[in-house]
Amino acid sequence: MFAALWEAYKAFGRAVDDHVFGWRLPAHTDDASMPHISTILGSFSKAEVRGRPGTVGGAVLSGSWFTLRLAVTGLIVGFVVGMALAIIMCRFTLVRRAWLPYVVLSQTVPLIALAPLIVGWGNRLKIGSVHWQPWMSVTGMSAYLAFFPIAVGALRGLQSPKEQSLELMDSYAASWTQTLLKLRLPAAVPYLLPAVKLGAAAAVVGAIVAELSAGVSGGVGRLILDYFQKATGDPARVFTAFIGAAVLGLVVAAGVNGLELVLTRHRPKAAL
Amino acid sequence: MSGPAAVECRGVCKIFNQGKPNQVDALIDVDLTVEAGEFVSLIGPSGCGKSTLLRVIADLLPPSGGSIAVNGKTARQARLDFDYGMAFQQAGLFEWRKVIKNIELPMELRGWDRSKRSARSREMLELVKLPEFGDNYPWELSGGMQQRIAIARALAVDPPLLLMDEPFGALDEMTREHMQAELTRICASTHKTVVFVTHSIPEAVYLSNRVVVMSPRPGRITTVINVDLGERSEDTREDGEFFKKITEVREALRGGELGATARGIEDR
Repeated sequence: MFAALWEAYKAFGRAVDDHVFGWRLPAHTDDASMPHISTILGSFSKAEVRGRPGTVGGAVLSGSWFTLRLAVTGLIVGFVVGMALAIIMCRFTLVRRAWLPYVVLSQTVPLIALAPLIVGWGNRLKIGSVHWQPWMSVTGMSAYLAFFPIAVGALRGLQSPKEQSLELMDSYAASWTQTLLKLRLPAAVPYLLPAVKLGAAAAVVGAIVAELSAGVSGGVGRLILDYFQKATGDPARVFTAFIGAAVLGLVVAAGVNGLELVLTRHRPKAAL
Repeated sequence: MSGPAAVECRGVCKIFNQGKPNQVDALIDVDLTVEAGEFVSLIGPSGCGKSTLLRVIADLLPPSGGSIAVNGKTARQARLDFDYGMAFQQAGLFEWRKVIKNIELPMELRGWDRSKRSARSREMLELVKLPEFGDNYPWELSGGMQQRIAIARALAVDPPLLLMDEPFGALDEMTREHMQAELTRICASTHKTVVFVTHSIPEAVYLSNRVVVMSPRPGRITTVINVDLGERSEDTREDGEFFKKITEVREALRGGELGATARGIEDR
């Protein structure tokens, strides 16, 4: 479907030389800007470095796998941090009032600006005997983007039980922790799932962007940059990296969807 | 009567937003004694403080003044000791738990072990006549069935006192009458004391030994009507005495409202 549109647009652009009634088409359709789908797919099997074993496809795959691990680690860290923030903000009204603006503020700082800073700090950081690795900076930035929707969604979910349910727990003299475990957390699940989906998408974007600005090699983000630099010689190759990044996003989204199916199999359909 | 009263309220007041322009006198000087084994209904128009009184007895709201004893203890101690079970207008079952796990919730919070929980919850399902629905999820049950499960949950750890806040208010009339009969049966077989908040005059008369009539602004008890209809059955609803009591309660309710209106005029 997408491939057909792509080729149709390209053919149309070629036919009219990128101009319709004197207006230029929004995207160039020459082979450098929009290679044929077959050329792009063909690129996957080309040699990554001329004369050596290893294909472009292999490089994209291993790059995507590398980035996937960073993004998933980032998502997990972001989930833990987001949940912890939400639970603390749910417990203490004062903390909620004090922190929530900063949680929102944290997302208005552009990641691109922050990334070199974090990498710079990271290089000088040493926790115990563990040296801070550049990939940790990437995961950190990935988590930084992922925690926000999770914190906001979890807070909303933790506060979702009705007054009557809270009174019920009170009538059983349940402690705050018991109410959290038996009422608030299960009630938060339907709110958490869309939040985790947003967080997962943010974690992937975060990981790719952070790779670029942190100069970490081995991931699909770095591959996009490398291929761009070689684009004059082999324009199709850039698109292979794009496809890799897109598939990466799909894999993470599929993972979250799988989690959703497991967690909601016993819930009424209307409540979701 | 042996032992302490199930509920003993002396001069109980509850004032919301005290000292502020939006101050509400929800309860003023309420004296109420409920003996063990009694079924007492609180009835009155909206805003008469009947639900507030129930929550003060349950120690879910602190009173602004006066004293409350439940089973001879402070209301707080009674709550900590699981001396009462509560049922609300909405069944309020946890949708992520199976029916049986909903009934087991208070037992888990009391720290009962698995086998004791499971035996007791099966027993409770039998009591409310839904033994085959233990493994269903609450949303697969009708409103009346959900409310029966809520009652089973309230009785799960065998508290001597049941506090019920319009538990049948959201049910249709047919289901409601059926539930009233069920509740009478359950209370007779388990010897519970019940404090029951309702809007419905026939419901109050059908269920209760005593109907406490309340009136609003400020919330207070105006009349207490003793109901002695003997053992309840479907025939009770056709009984002349039943209708006489309904009329009596209705007039008491009107009297209370007239009084409130009259005072309203005086204030101006």
